[in-house]
Amino acid sequence: MLLESGMDKMGAGIGAGVAVIGAGLGIGKLAASAVESMARQPEATNDVRGAMILTAAFVEGVALFAEVVCLLIALG
Amino acid sequence: MNLPISVILRIIVVLVLAFPTLARASETKAEGEQSGGFNVTELLLHHVLDSHDWHIVDIPTGGGKYFTVSVSLPWLLYDSEKGLKFFFLHGHTPEELNASAAEHGYQIDGHGHIASLTGANVVDLSPTKTVLHILMVALVMLLLFTRIASAYKARPNQAPKGAQSFFEPLIVFIRDEIAKPNLHGKHAAFVPYLLTLFFFIWFANIFGIMPLNSNIAGNISVTAALAVLTFVLIQFNGTKDYWGHIFWFPGLPVPLKLLMTVVEIVGLLTKPVALAIRLFANISAGHFMVLALISLIFLLGKQGQSVGGALGILPLSLAFSLFILTLEVLVAIVQAYIFTLLTAVFIGQAMESHDHAEAGH
Repeated sequence: MLLESGMDKMGAGIGAGVAVIGAGLGIGKLAASAVESMARQPEATNDVRGAMILTAAFVEGVALFAEVVCLLIALG
Repeated sequence: MNLPISVILRIIVVLVLAFPTLARASETKAEGEQSGGFNVTELLLHHVLDSHDWHIVDIPTGGGKYFTVSVSLPWLLYDSEKGLKFFFLHGHTPEELNASAAEHGYQIDGHGHIASLTGANVVDLSPTKTVLHILMVALVMLLLFTRIASAYKARPNQAPKGAQSFFEPLIVFIRDEIAKPNLHGKHAAFVPYLLTLFFFIWFANIFGIMPLNSNIAGNISVTAALAVLTFVLIQFNGTKDYWGHIFWFPGLPVPLKLLMTVVEIVGLLTKPVALAIRLFANISAGHFMVLALISLIFLLGKQGQSVGGALGILPLSLAFSLFILTLEVLVAIVQAYIFTLLTAVFIGQAMESHDHAEAGH
């Protein structure tokens, strides 16, 4: 019983960490490309920023799905 | 037009002012005391979840006793035998509440779920803490924006004054940067809704960061309701091409068309669900972080037994929670922006004409 609940918590913790790795990689790659294209084409800065925020929201949304699942496991 | 608004305002003011008069205080034992240790999970959930009373402060009166100051909110039930029931309950601990509910013929468990003692079906319609706080945010918005609107009417084509000049750039930003590029020339009809959405989420988030208040957008029911509004708007503004792409995707063999229908319907539901979860998780995460950092002081202080431990972690804990709170002020407006932007983008996608969509394939 104790072992089982321990495994639940451990799984939730590892899951939360892995989800953050994914989101970090995604947003990092996104920001890198965005900054690069802004440097190449400064007049397109506003369009690039808009597209970047929109995509970052999607990446973050997927990561938050995982985090909510982990939270439910940890608390449930 | 002015008369109904002022009448509504007065009713709301009276309703909100009436609540504090119902504040009750009683001598109770704090829940953490009974179990002996300091329970972080319990503290986090108590602060983040919705409840039937607005808990303001516990004043220690010595001997492990606390004087609880809180605003009791009314219970509104639909009972399949007795019809609508409206009453107040006395007390703060689950036992006190249960004893008080028994007088009315109900029982309450530790989580605030109510059930009838006679076995009738009960639907809980009570205005909870979150509902009260949403009404308070709505009141602030009503007062503020009716004043700004009347300032525009009174002084047309002149430089803005006071609150008007603070909000004008934001209003223009929503109209020109969110509505116009995404809604294909039909933005005029959607700007009022987008503005309401943006300012409601922003105000609710800022309101939630302030002391004593609940986190409105950190309640999944609230964000889900906002997402349902967006979902309904998307479907009602969908063109023939939008529905065509969902049920009979053009330019594909028939087996793939059937598969795409399933995929598209899943996609249809994912959009509002993602909206709701994004807002909920972002706001909740901030609250969890701050509460966990503050809890560190009590964990290391071992309830007053280790003053050194508490003092050691105090500067670190306060500095980090200040940092997170500052970040939260930023997150409050960024999440409001993202929710509004995505709503506009999704509605715009549904309104797209076929010729325009074809270019993107």
